[in-house]
Amino acid sequence: MKTRSTLEQHFIYGLFGLVLGFALSRIGFASYSQVHRMFVFSDLRLLYTFAGAVGLTMAGFMAFARGHRIPTKPFHPGTIPGSILFGAGWALTGSCPAIAIVQIGEGQLAAAFTLLGILFGVWAYRQVHAQIFHWDTGSCE
Amino acid sequence: MLNYWPWWLGSLALAAITIGFWLLLRRPLGVSGSWARIVGWREARAVARAEAPFRVNAAAMGDALLAATLAEFGEQATFQSLSTSGAGAASPSRAMAPSSRTHWTVHLTFLGTMLLGGFIASTSNGTFALRFDLGSVYTQLFGSGWHSWLLLMLGGGLVGFGTQMAGGCTSGHGLSGCSRLVPASLIATSIFFATAVGVSFLAQVMAR
Repeated sequence: MKTRSTLEQHFIYGLFGLVLGFALSRIGFASYSQVHRMFVFSDLRLLYTFAGAVGLTMAGFMAFARGHRIPTKPFHPGTIPGSILFGAGWALTGSCPAIAIVQIGEGQLAAAFTLLGILFGVWAYRQVHAQIFHWDTGSCE
Repeated sequence: MLNYWPWWLGSLALAAITIGFWLLLRRPLGVSGSWARIVGWREARAVARAEAPFRVNAAAMGDALLAATLAEFGEQATFQSLSTSGAGAASPSRAMAPSSRTHWTVHLTFLGTMLLGGFIASTSNGTFALRFDLGSVYTQLFGSGWHSWLLLMLGGGLVGFGTQMAGGCTSGHGLSGCSRLVPASLIATSIFFATAVGVSFLAQVMAR
């Protein structure tokens, strides 16, 4: 596969960002109330949305990606503690890394504080990782 | 107020995005990676600068590797190993070729257009409203004002630190990983989901 120019990549990533932001907002993933109701199982719509998405993506990869090697993430000592920290943060802010941005787009300005926190958290992990941990996190490109 | 998409429409959209992303870019969708690339932009610039001469002249890479090998192991050991292992021992392997990573500003575009997507979605159905809280449920659980903002910053810190440590988030582990039954992703997703459930119930009990 040919490599795309940076301009082409801006265009494609921009298109996906636009559609993803729109979809996440319409689904209700950017609403703290909706996300909290999913976590306490009082409204299962978001849970079905996510489970359905995983199922359909699986079918899609089977149909379109047969014979391709898609990079997989390794399991390493950071997988479990990292997931615990992320889960706690998700419950406190209603935000996974994409959501804080969508929330600000919807006018929920308090999410700017979440965004600052995320920036600091990512920066802090990079400092700590370089000095203490030595495993490969295999984070997505 | 409740004009959210039904679950199946949301599933279809998310799946189409995840698969489309891979088909067009041959890269699994993952948002936390974009954060890492943006925060680490200085590092990316340093790598690009260091690699610049090798992009122009691939042979320079072999020379540089040979020079480094000489400096590390001395002349005798180096040429002994070269003669025993055959030609090409010091030539750059494919893995060492200059990286073709996406420029960090592309990730900035990705996150920026996501904000625009949220703006378009909320203005087009009339839910857009500038406000300094996250809605009634959040205020009920955590109050409002500066201490709730402080909590958001702390929570955001956990999200940033945790997703980098775990090597992915809802999109990378949850969608891209789980749909291909990647063991690390299945473990990560069930753990961050279970923790969020636990903390949410705890917040509910403590707010009473």
